[in-house]
Amino acid sequence: MEKQWHEMTADEKQEAQFKKLLSPKDPEGNDLKFQSKEAEANYKASINRIKDAVQLKKTPDRVPVALLPSMFPFFNAGMTIQEAMYDNDKTVAAFRKFILEYEPDMHIGAAHAGPGKFYEILDYKLYKWPGHGVAPEHCYQCVEGEYMKAEEYDLLITDPSFYFRNFYLPRVFGALDGFQMLPPFTGILEIYGLAFFFVPYALPPVQNTYKALFEAGAEALKWAMAIGGLNGELTTLGFPNILGGFTKGPFDVIGDTLRGTRGIMLDMFRQPDKLLKAMEALVPIMIGMGIGAMQQTGNPQIFIPLHKGADGFLSDEQFKKFYWPTLKAVMVGLIEGGCIPFPALEGHWGSRLKVIQDIPKGKTMWMVDQTDMAKVKETLGKNACLIGNVSSSMLRLATPDEVKAYCKKLIDTAGKGGGFIMGNGAFFDEAKPENVKAMVDFTKEYGLYK
Amino acid sequence: MPMTEMPCQASVLQNSGWEGRKMKERWTEVEAGAKEKQAKQFATWLSGESIPFEDSNAAEAYQERINLLKDAIQLIKPPYRVPVCPSPGFFPISYAGSTLYAAMYEFDTLVRIWEKYCNDFAPDAYNAPTSIVPGKVFDLLDFTLYKWPGHGVSKEWPYQFVEGEYMKAEEYQDLIDDPSGYFLRVYFPRIFGALKAFERMPIFPLIHEMVLVPLGLFPFGTPELQKALHDIMDAASEATSWGKKVRALNGSIMGKGFPTYSGGFSKAPFDVVGDSLRGTAGVMTDMYRHPDDLLEACERLTPFMVKAGVAAGKANNHSLIFIPLHKGADGFMSDKQFRTFYWPTLKKVIVGLVNEGLVPLLFAEGGYNSRLEVISDLPKGAAVWWFDQTDMVRAKETVGKVACIAGNVSPPLLCVGTEDEVKAYCKRLIDTVGRDGGFILSTGAGMEGAKPENVRAMIDFSKEYGVYR
Repeated sequence: MEKQWHEMTADEKQEAQFKKLLSPKDPEGNDLKFQSKEAEANYKASINRIKDAVQLKKTPDRVPVALLPSMFPFFNAGMTIQEAMYDNDKTVAAFRKFILEYEPDMHIGAAHAGPGKFYEILDYKLYKWPGHGVAPEHCYQCVEGEYMKAEEYDLLITDPSFYFRNFYLPRVFGALDGFQMLPPFTGILEIYGLAFFFVPYALPPVQNTYKALFEAGAEALKWAMAIGGLNGELTTLGFPNILGGFTKGPFDVIGDTLRGTRGIMLDMFRQPDKLLKAMEALVPIMIGMGIGAMQQTGNPQIFIPLHKGADGFLSDEQFKKFYWPTLKAVMVGLIEGGCIPFPALEGHWGSRLKVIQDIPKGKTMWMVDQTDMAKVKETLGKNACLIGNVSSSMLRLATPDEVKAYCKKLIDTAGKGGGFIMGNGAFFDEAKPENVKAMVDFTKEYGLYK
Repeated sequence: MPMTEMPCQASVLQNSGWEGRKMKERWTEVEAGAKEKQAKQFATWLSGESIPFEDSNAAEAYQERINLLKDAIQLIKPPYRVPVCPSPGFFPISYAGSTLYAAMYEFDTLVRIWEKYCNDFAPDAYNAPTSIVPGKVFDLLDFTLYKWPGHGVSKEWPYQFVEGEYMKAEEYQDLIDDPSGYFLRVYFPRIFGALKAFERMPIFPLIHEMVLVPLGLFPFGTPELQKALHDIMDAASEATSWGKKVRALNGSIMGKGFPTYSGGFSKAPFDVVGDSLRGTAGVMTDMYRHPDDLLEACERLTPFMVKAGVAAGKANNHSLIFIPLHKGADGFMSDKQFRTFYWPTLKKVIVGLVNEGLVPLLFAEGGYNSRLEVISDLPKGAAVWWFDQTDMVRAKETVGKVACIAGNVSPPLLCVGTEDEVKAYCKRLIDTVGRDGGFILSTGAGMEGAKPENVRAMIDFSKEYGVYR
């Protein structure tokens, strides 16, 4: 009899995940119908290449190549980002065109632009976006701030969901201010008093909050159906989406959008114990987020953008004490749950390599931005698959020959012995089409393992 | 992405392999300022601010009655007389010739029933009719934790708790990691049929970056979740009408000079787990099979129980916080288990309330004879121990040295005894337990089925005989 999911080891879970990816289903649960034999072969070859690259057990048949754009597909289609955010059909068309034109082995889906109207309904304050504080042709921007106050750590630690609903969400979404009026869930104990618990749901600000959520939810649903539909279509054409979901390291959760960069830097000195405790409290939630996404999408690769741990933000000692332990705990939890953590080393990470190489072998894939790839290969690369690191500036400014020369160097060094996926180093907006093309085509030709 | 069922957090975190973490130690010591805060809270309660008193006599009677309780609680001097505060249970309903069904579904009937009881018997403190819950709210939510009149129980009978394992043994860690998240996404869908779709409620902490927000919130666009929330809003509007009636009723009764017997509600963390999460069988086996999880869950729930009591006491300008105690009674567990599992976190809840100037009103249902020494470890004059079938003389000699004792006229005596037998029992209580103060004469449990003349005998006799000279 086959083992149940919860009885499997991490290795067995990973195998099972790839096996599932190799026999994809349609939304009704039947075997997916590919549009051609060739599409089916391409799809399966790509999955096998990722599998071999990740597992580090044998070299794939050739170096796989992935395109991981931010807004490039929209510029490529002659659109503004504002158009992409406000028109689901245009987004889908632009992304389809992008994939069919450049033919990468794999992609990460068209979710990058996000539904503009959805954010408007919720009065989202954490970002500015095209037409809403940013010019139509520019990418959205996070508005740095202390959205969580220095004295609120205990609230976050004691009851994370309650803190987010009653304190955090009303601050970052103007339309959700009714959440502040809701009582703690844990007040539900016995039959008496229970009716009082529900009374606030009759208050107009609370009802308005839910009304906004219903409207926004409907927008999100339309958008998600459009993006999801395109994913399905691209799969039948032979292009797998390798992004199963998203999570973050606890230090970045707090440092990015709760306490902000300045706040967390001060907290390391002023209230280190609370910061450490809060990060620990976030670990199971961030693991749950990744595993939940994997179960929802069926894709085990869980993207983890890494921000505040880059060279220069923290001292070595701070990195080891504050940044790494809970990030590692999240990754280990994901691995044990059958995910493939997909962290992105944004910026430079040369000084962290010795620390971060300490992870289970053959279970992760790391997107490398500007760190020296040869050094990464010698350290982290012994235990993990690497993906990258053609830089955004090279794609924007170099010539196709320069791109090819760089890709050759990458294949010769990072690609040696497998464990490497060619790709861009950072999510890119603007690039010369011929450079993007050169990266993909050259890799397919030169990247064959003999 | 495919729109498959959002996995519930439980199954997600179960596989994560994440080890638990301990909460920091707090509420182990009574703080220096606790006495002062208690005095201040009594003063707030005594002020009767915002109560629509009928006349100055009513306002005075209100203060006098609170002072009886205050003196009995503080153990500094005996009150003018023994305060008499029986627990009415559903007695006022049959006394008024009505049914619990009518009281739960017709708010005007509830008002008539409760006013009649208070007017006719004049207890020194009355229980607000919050235990007569609004039936329609529960109908709308399809509450599965209880059966009630017209909904699984006949119209004359009290509502009944439905024992069950509403939380699974393997879900302790999920509760510990994120209590509100667990309640919202795992527990509510089980105890409210109408909230099944809450399983798809997004995990709020995950909504923090632009690209994640629509993916996190799209379930609000689904008809299932919208329906569940609309059901809540309907229930809320029903609860609001009920709440308005109850508030007006309380204003009217207090306006005649009767304070309420408690201003808030909390529970022992062990009972939170044992009553409506794991259930009796569950929590009893967990003491053997999952002792560490159980202890950690009790610790984790402690701050919520402290906050629930403090918030209610402050909001209602009241001193007393009612804490019904269930699974710690004689016979439910050994002495060692009581000391290990039940008492430590209950004591923290007590200390947490005392530190904020509130007075826990600990209602020990059943017998507490084997617990008297353990529960005597309390600051003096800070709590009320209300007993049911406990030996009151021994209680006075032990926990009575540090806390006010309340009790314990039994429902059988009130139901089948004579007036003289009731008076004799009250006399004995006042002579022994009531000596030198520190005593509230009460019933051992709700008075369902009592003879009205016995209730009257108990209250009138004790008021007269219980004067301290």
